Amino acid sequence: MDEHELIRQVQQGDEVAFSQIVAAYKDRIVNYLYQFTRDYQKAVELAQETFIRVYFKANQYRPVGPLSSWIYAIASNLAKTEMKKMRRLPTVSLDDIVAHEVDENAYAEDPADPGLLKNLREALNVLHPRYRLPVVLKDMEGFSQEEIAQILKKPVGTIKARISRGRNFLKKRLEKALAGGRVPS
Amino acid sequence: MTMRREEMEELGLLKKLEKVKAPPDFEQKVMAQVSLRKRSLQQKRTAFRLSLAGAFASLLVVFVLLNVFVLQKKAPLGVSPLKKDIAPASENVPRAAGQLIPVIETLDYSTEIRSRSYEPQTIYLLEQVADTTPKGIKY
Repeated sequence: MDEHELIRQVQQGDEVAFSQIVAAYKDRIVNYLYQFTRDYQKAVELAQETFIRVYFKANQYRPVGPLSSWIYAIASNLAKTEMKKMRRLPTVSLDDIVAHEVDENAYAEDPADPGLLKNLREALNVLHPRYRLPVVLKDMEGFSQEEIAQILKKPVGTIKARISRGRNFLKKRLEKALAGGRVPS
Repeated sequence: MTMRREEMEELGLLKKLEKVKAPPDFEQKVMAQVSLRKRSLQQKRTAFRLSLAGAFASLLVVFVLLNVFVLQKKAPLGVSPLKKDIAPASENVPRAAGQLIPVIETLDYSTEIRSRSYEPQTIYLLEQVADTTPKGIKY
């Protein structure tokens, strides 16, 4: 069924249509939020909250763009709020995070090159949310720059600049890590 | 060893980062949360309506009580102690049953005077000239 038709039914309180939307987007949203929180349980909680908002704010949806953009916009707002909270809280070392992420490995896919990807992961973790959000939306979720602009409610030029700066930052961090010989060849 | 941005994009390194999936009971949890919030919302709405109705009812009671006990005592005009069918105007004049009751009306002559520019100010006082008692209207 068409996504617009599904959301129209949700607007009328149809829970079956809503569960179809949840089934279609749950993995993408959980994974998207996980890229910011690095805490699987927190990502799942935020994803639940995202879908609850989708249900209760369905009447605010206007079919000017794809439904996915609207859902990602809600998730992005929650991610931003969560990251602000996390910045206020005391930080935890990466080793501690890894120790807490035993549970998430049950759902994780095996990476091809763990050393390189670990460096990339670390670089992404230190990237400011201002740049991380558009980079993740572009390079991981596959949205166009116009869609990202719509999701983050920023001009397309700003999004282009942020993606470029974010990628440059990741590139420099990776080069630095590779030059330091941290990645096994 | 260097890595150009294009290479990074081509490799799609970010896409290769480990991906997590939603837990198997994710949908059930979301639906349970939705039902829970619906109930909570319904309860809040009911409580709000009840409190609104209560507030209006108490305002009405206060208004009625004020009218009955406070505002009525301060009223400048009181109700005549006489019976309803007797006019309070001529208390000093003893009246016989069936006697006519004189009614005194104030007249505003200012509206009777026309504009100065057109006609001189003239007040017409109409008096009864005939000796016969008018039998038109009795008050």
